[in-house]
Amino acid sequence: MKIGIGSATACAAVLAGALLSGCSGDDGGVSADGTVRIVFWHGQTQIAQKALDGLVAEFNRTHPKIKVVSQSGGSTADQLLPKVTAALVSGSYPDISYIYGSDLASIARNRKVADLTSAVQAPGVDWNDFWPAARAAATVDGRVRAIPALTDNLAVIYNKKLFAEQKVAPPKPGWSWDDFRATAKALTDPSKGTYGTAWPIADGEDVTWRLWPLVWQQGGDIVTPDRRRSRFAGPEGVRGLTVWRDMSVADKSVYLDQDSAGARMGQLFNNGKMGMFVAGPWALADIGPAKIDYAVAPLPGFNGDNTTIGGPDNWVVMDKGSERRKAATEFLLWLTRPAQDLRWDLATGQLPLRASASRHPSYAAYQARWKLDVWIDNLPKMRTRPTLRAYPKLSQAVQEAIAAVLLGKMEPGPALDRAAKAADSALATEE
Amino acid sequence: MARPMKRALGETPAAWAFVLPATLLILGLSLLPMVWSLLLSFTDSDLVTSGRWVGMDNYERLLDDPAFRQSIRNTLIFTALYVPGSAGLGLLIAMALNRPRTKLIGIYRTCVIVPFVVSPAATGVLFAFICDARFGVANRILSAFGIPRQGFLEDPNTALYTLTGIGLWGGTGFCVIIFLAALQDIPPSLVEAARIDGAGRWNIFRHVTLPSVRPVTTFVVIWQSLVAMQLFDLVYATTRGGPLGSTAVVVYFIYNQAFKVFDAGYGAAAAYVLAVVLLALGGVRYLLTRARRRFA
Repeated sequence: MKIGIGSATACAAVLAGALLSGCSGDDGGVSADGTVRIVFWHGQTQIAQKALDGLVAEFNRTHPKIKVVSQSGGSTADQLLPKVTAALVSGSYPDISYIYGSDLASIARNRKVADLTSAVQAPGVDWNDFWPAARAAATVDGRVRAIPALTDNLAVIYNKKLFAEQKVAPPKPGWSWDDFRATAKALTDPSKGTYGTAWPIADGEDVTWRLWPLVWQQGGDIVTPDRRRSRFAGPEGVRGLTVWRDMSVADKSVYLDQDSAGARMGQLFNNGKMGMFVAGPWALADIGPAKIDYAVAPLPGFNGDNTTIGGPDNWVVMDKGSERRKAATEFLLWLTRPAQDLRWDLATGQLPLRASASRHPSYAAYQARWKLDVWIDNLPKMRTRPTLRAYPKLSQAVQEAIAAVLLGKMEPGPALDRAAKAADSALATEE
Repeated sequence: MARPMKRALGETPAAWAFVLPATLLILGLSLLPMVWSLLLSFTDSDLVTSGRWVGMDNYERLLDDPAFRQSIRNTLIFTALYVPGSAGLGLLIAMALNRPRTKLIGIYRTCVIVPFVVSPAATGVLFAFICDARFGVANRILSAFGIPRQGFLEDPNTALYTLTGIGLWGGTGFCVIIFLAALQDIPPSLVEAARIDGAGRWNIFRHVTLPSVRPVTTFVVIWQSLVAMQLFDLVYATTRGGPLGSTAVVVYFIYNQAFKVFDAGYGAAAAYVLAVVLLALGGVRYLLTRARRRFA
């Protein structure tokens, strides 16, 4: 809405920028004395960026033949994707970039994205020390195309004070979605402006992935085993979404967060106006300073199955010649070794990427202080979404269905059927 | 050798040296991407791989894509409200500000222009706070007057209209500047003559002011239409097209296809449809200007 050609050209501008920077070329990255220079787009800010810069500095000190140039990528992790795709078109891509788990399969179609299968099998890497869900999320069509960068999973953070005020019993182990619904209803009090819980409905995978545990817990799945058709619109998906529809439309116990980044539900919880916050440990960064007396419970379940979802993100290596590819891989494998993993977790509050790091004695105190037990227990058994090229389209279709149902505009069955149709046509193009 | 070379470069070969850098910039920055995205629109590229040639498939898909149709409908509604709204409001405010002898006129003028200077992203964030359905100031004011709470950006029925209001807040300042300049160009003698002939306020407005600002109005209307059809940043900062696609405009549709679901070829095709419409609008302006010159 400004003078100038404005925003229709926004997309064209990104592309034009890509072309322009493509002309500038890159400097080869290997200097005369054999030092390999690699560019690292991490997409992290604030504390995480500081912690990462410290690790990079140490790597550069201990590896004189490699110089890692650490850059944010000009963007935060959730907006890095357009930059990376444009950079891939122009050829001015970095050696390493942060990529969301749900986007890996699409990015990995590009042959410049390195195949790390043999690299992670090398002695000393101990690939199986990474959590199974993180390994699955880094694997596309049976090949390892990324190194895990982050693992988290969903649990229920609850406000103990609000539970006491409303005289609601705290969650018991093995609780069900019916218990969850009743608890949310009891916590909701329009006169005080309090809500039982929340669901973001504005944009992105954060809307969609919250539905998958409800599907898995009943034995359903996102796609069929041959990955040719969607399965989420089956009775499991309908039953799962119906629970939330009833909570949102009938009980009015769900705050529907329409903020473009889904940030308002966090603020609501931190202001003591929301009882149960379905989230990962990332939410603790703001809950801590807000001084909310919280506890963490596992996700509710169906039929005693409390399976949750992990949303692992990845580091991908993009090929800029064998020297640089080797250096980039070496850096990532160093960065994710148990010792570095542990330092990173203690500095940022993220969950360990590796089982061995989670068992380290120095982690135990940290884990207790932040009440991370539930999330840590989830790590070995959590599931993750399939690495499918059609996933972003499937995710968007499901996101629209969830929003329509929670807003009371559509019934769960027809909404999911419509999403399944869109997902199936996207899956049909999958090779 | 020298002679044909000279003929090819024309009378003043040195001129080419001066023109060349700008020409290359224009070719490289606008023409090249345009051609490239046209080619892109005939492929199924996802930007990650080069994609296959699919001919007119993308354009045919657009024809029966309900999401694209909805984005066109939203864009048209926004344009139909935003353009007359900003032009009409702009003229009214400009007339109010066109009184050099009013006290503190400089401050009033600045106040009107400020929203226009604020970036749309900041505007979006600001209004997302104000219009928050549960905790925003807007609803508190409404309820003080006994008016029921509104969903604003969170209600599919009101989101687009709220967005238009926010757009007007940010975009009217531009019209004010243009109209103010035009109003100051009206010779005071004209107004005075009209007054001596017995014209009242309305007749001065109707027969002196309006005809004088007509050429500028054409420009403002076409310019604001171009701006309205290219709406993106405000949507991105507030609703991301929601709730339920009620604020998904064409450029947001394009962005979504190209950069979120890896369907760049399809997005490029939609971009070209928009470009043709915008080009046609530019053509209308050109014809109008030419016609005016001929009859002037």
